[in-house]
Amino acid sequence: MDKQLDAALSSIDRKVLTIIQSGFPIAPRPYEVIGEQVGLTEAEALATVRSLKERKIIRRLGANFNSKGLGWRSTLCAAKVSEDKLDEFIAEVNSHPGVTHNYLRDHEFNIWFTFIGPNWDAVVDTLNGITEKTGIEILNLPATALYKIKVDFNLTDK
Amino acid sequence: MAKTEFTEIEKKILHIVQANLPDSATPYADIAEEVGTDEKTVLDLLQLMKDEGTIRRFGASLKHQKAGFNHNAMVAWKVDEKVIDEIGKVAAKHQLISHCYHRPTTHPDWHYNLFTMIHGRHEDEYMEVVEELRRTTELDEFAVLTSLKELKKISMTYF
Repeated sequence: MDKQLDAALSSIDRKVLTIIQSGFPIAPRPYEVIGEQVGLTEAEALATVRSLKERKIIRRLGANFNSKGLGWRSTLCAAKVSEDKLDEFIAEVNSHPGVTHNYLRDHEFNIWFTFIGPNWDAVVDTLNGITEKTGIEILNLPATALYKIKVDFNLTDK
Repeated sequence: MAKTEFTEIEKKILHIVQANLPDSATPYADIAEEVGTDEKTVLDLLQLMKDEGTIRRFGASLKHQKAGFNHNAMVAWKVDEKVIDEIGKVAAKHQLISHCYHRPTTHPDWHYNLFTMIHGRHEDEYMEVVEELRRTTELDEFAVLTSLKELKKISMTYF
């Protein structure tokens, strides 16, 4: 983890984060459960988490879904877009909620975006729709194997 | 088979937890009250989805997990399909490579089928990784896709 963040954390912060990074308790009084594990009262555990949120060390506290497990399908797409059509194409691509990342890149294929849809047909239909609307061909590159995806860093490494 | 169909009430619960849990000592009771159900329904749904893996992780996401590593490039390589799994695994071992995927292509203008996302603290650092991979894998056809501008970056909204 980076040094700045590291220096901002007390030993209690670290213990609480280690627990709630991987598993926030799914129980009626979650902060009581956290408190019991680290030797704090329920109120102290809640105050610790609130402070971590206020200091923006915790960016979000909630669920991360497994899109594939939910049946959703994702892909990486590329297009060669001329200067005069860039704005229109970018606006059309970005208007779709399933487009989560989009970058202008230094290559003949200059637009690269990720698309995720509730099933494969929905993905293909949306990409075809973008091509029909803009006249620009889209290179659709779904992954057939995943060798690595970055995992969250581990606070217990310390 | 994991649960992938949801009632309207369940979708409302998931709509809340895909953003942020309510800031209180009893977040699940608060969610139940907001969507018009009981706390047990909320707890049971989240526990089931966590057990089945459709909730990959339930908890805190931290800021700037790669702070300082601001120079990134997507580098795509042309790899023989027969050895791509082997080479993909070699590339995946590198510390500065965060993502590595096999994306087959038949497009006449696009021949690169192994995608790596490489991170560095400066441009030289990710180019060193490229050079190292060239040496260890003997790959010589690749495209460095440097990002010129971020056009969109959001978290997916499923519910």
